[in-house]
Amino acid sequence: MSKKVLRQSRVNRFIHWGTAISIILLIISGLGQLPLYKRYNITKLPGGEWLGSFYNTLDLHYIAAVLLIFVVSFHLVYHGLRREFDILPKKGDLRESYLIIKAMLTKGEEPPADKYLAEQRVAYFFIGINVLVLIGTGMVKVIKNLNGVTLPQFIIAFSTHLHNLATVLLILGIGAHLAAFIFKANRPLLRGIFSGTVDEKYAKERHPLWYKRIKMRI
Amino acid sequence: MTEKINRRTFLRRSTAAGLLSFLAVSGLSENAYGLSDEQEIGTVIDITKCDGCRDLEIPRCVSACRQKNKGRFPEPITDIQPYWPQKKYEDWSDKREVTNRLTPYNWNYVEHLQVDYKGKREDIYLMRRCMHCDHPTCQKLCPFSAIKKDVTGSVSINEELCLGGAKCRDVCPWGIPQRQAGVGLYLKLAPTFAGGGVMYKCDNCRDLLAKDEKPACERACPKGAILTGPKKQMKEYAQRRAEEIGGYIYGDVQNGGTSTFYISKIPFEAISEAIATDKMAQKDTGPGRPLMPERVDNYLESEKGIAGAALTAPIAGAALAAFTAYKTMKGEKVDE
Repeated sequence: MSKKVLRQSRVNRFIHWGTAISIILLIISGLGQLPLYKRYNITKLPGGEWLGSFYNTLDLHYIAAVLLIFVVSFHLVYHGLRREFDILPKKGDLRESYLIIKAMLTKGEEPPADKYLAEQRVAYFFIGINVLVLIGTGMVKVIKNLNGVTLPQFIIAFSTHLHNLATVLLILGIGAHLAAFIFKANRPLLRGIFSGTVDEKYAKERHPLWYKRIKMRI
Repeated sequence: MTEKINRRTFLRRSTAAGLLSFLAVSGLSENAYGLSDEQEIGTVIDITKCDGCRDLEIPRCVSACRQKNKGRFPEPITDIQPYWPQKKYEDWSDKREVTNRLTPYNWNYVEHLQVDYKGKREDIYLMRRCMHCDHPTCQKLCPFSAIKKDVTGSVSINEELCLGGAKCRDVCPWGIPQRQAGVGLYLKLAPTFAGGGVMYKCDNCRDLLAKDEKPACERACPKGAILTGPKKQMKEYAQRRAEEIGGYIYGDVQNGGTSTFYISKIPFEAISEAIATDKMAQKDTGPGRPLMPERVDNYLESEKGIAGAALTAPIAGAALAAFTAYKTMKGEKVDE
């Protein structure tokens, strides 16, 4: 069996999967706030009936939002305190992402990567910004829903439209994130996010800058 | 001192006096009705006074509403598409004359019922329209914020922005807003796949309230059965009046409170039952003829706890993160 190296700590996996599960639930329940499950007969599918109630899906949206907000806040404070910023975008990441994707398509040579590939950092930033916008506008919407609270219409409308726009962008972002695994070259990373480790050979070849750092630490 | 009054002086003075008396009578310097677009407005609908304008084909409050709002009634396109993949769509444009229920062309109606009460059969006439809730679920849950609540309490739909998903009708305890297909913004987007028209309902004549004028239905009522005024006063009046007649109020607590207060000497449960019985007899299952259930909870009230959790989640997440980060930085093994 090939040697493994730790890539994603338990905390990182908790953050990733906590975010992923809550966002999936938020998308399902959020789409339920539009009158589309009944119209498109999803409610007629086995087990789909509950999706027809705006209140059922709103309850789920609130619960999933609590989980997401908790995990995101945890992530920002935890990694902020530990000063772990590997995943933040760096200058030239867009160009480097292009070079990596080109290399994957043409089977050429990729630029040497650190812990994260340039397009992973770009994807994190894009998804992260949208999640923060969704949390911010979502909180305004929660406050608006409290009985006795009447917010000015422009604040309600602004947060609603921004929430809807960020939802569309987030779904596109998640689509691109998942589409990355169409490329064989990216698949060893899947193991990392499930079990925490990746093949040492993979790390050495594809993430030489990161590999050098962890070897130096040891 | 005598002053010669010629014809010109006489005319000038008469005009000035006329103008002054007009200003005094019309009360331009102060609100004639105590209404303003900066205070909450309430409406009392006194069923004991309404006779449904029996001598007329259409009650006056209904005609007045139709007349006032006719310029806003939908003019749909001719080839309306069904709501794909459904085969249906809601079209009232060929039933504009319907006045006995809520439709996109009829924003109030009078329900005529016969209710047996204390061994006597009573005729009841009940003007129905939007209740203008204190915590309107329609306005709070519209996914495109197309519904607005004014400071006056009037709840209105922005016909330019509404996509006609009819969620507002689904979450309204009385199913008030009504949909017309083939009109509105959705036609410019993806009319086959999304949207369904525009929702219409009473807006409490918010344009008139802003001018310190009374809603059209009230102005047309010859019996004084509809009374609009500052909400606190209206509520107090409704309570006094209900006490006077040993009757009941509807709308003060339902859905967490509304700005409409019905007064009746017959319990509303009996009235609601009579509407339900009549609907059943007529096999009337369509929208636009709401019941009057005694207990109407505001669903959003039940979300309070979880809303609190959502708003405190950032603090909880940050606290746990600080604790975990501290432990790992001290070298304890929690991060593998």
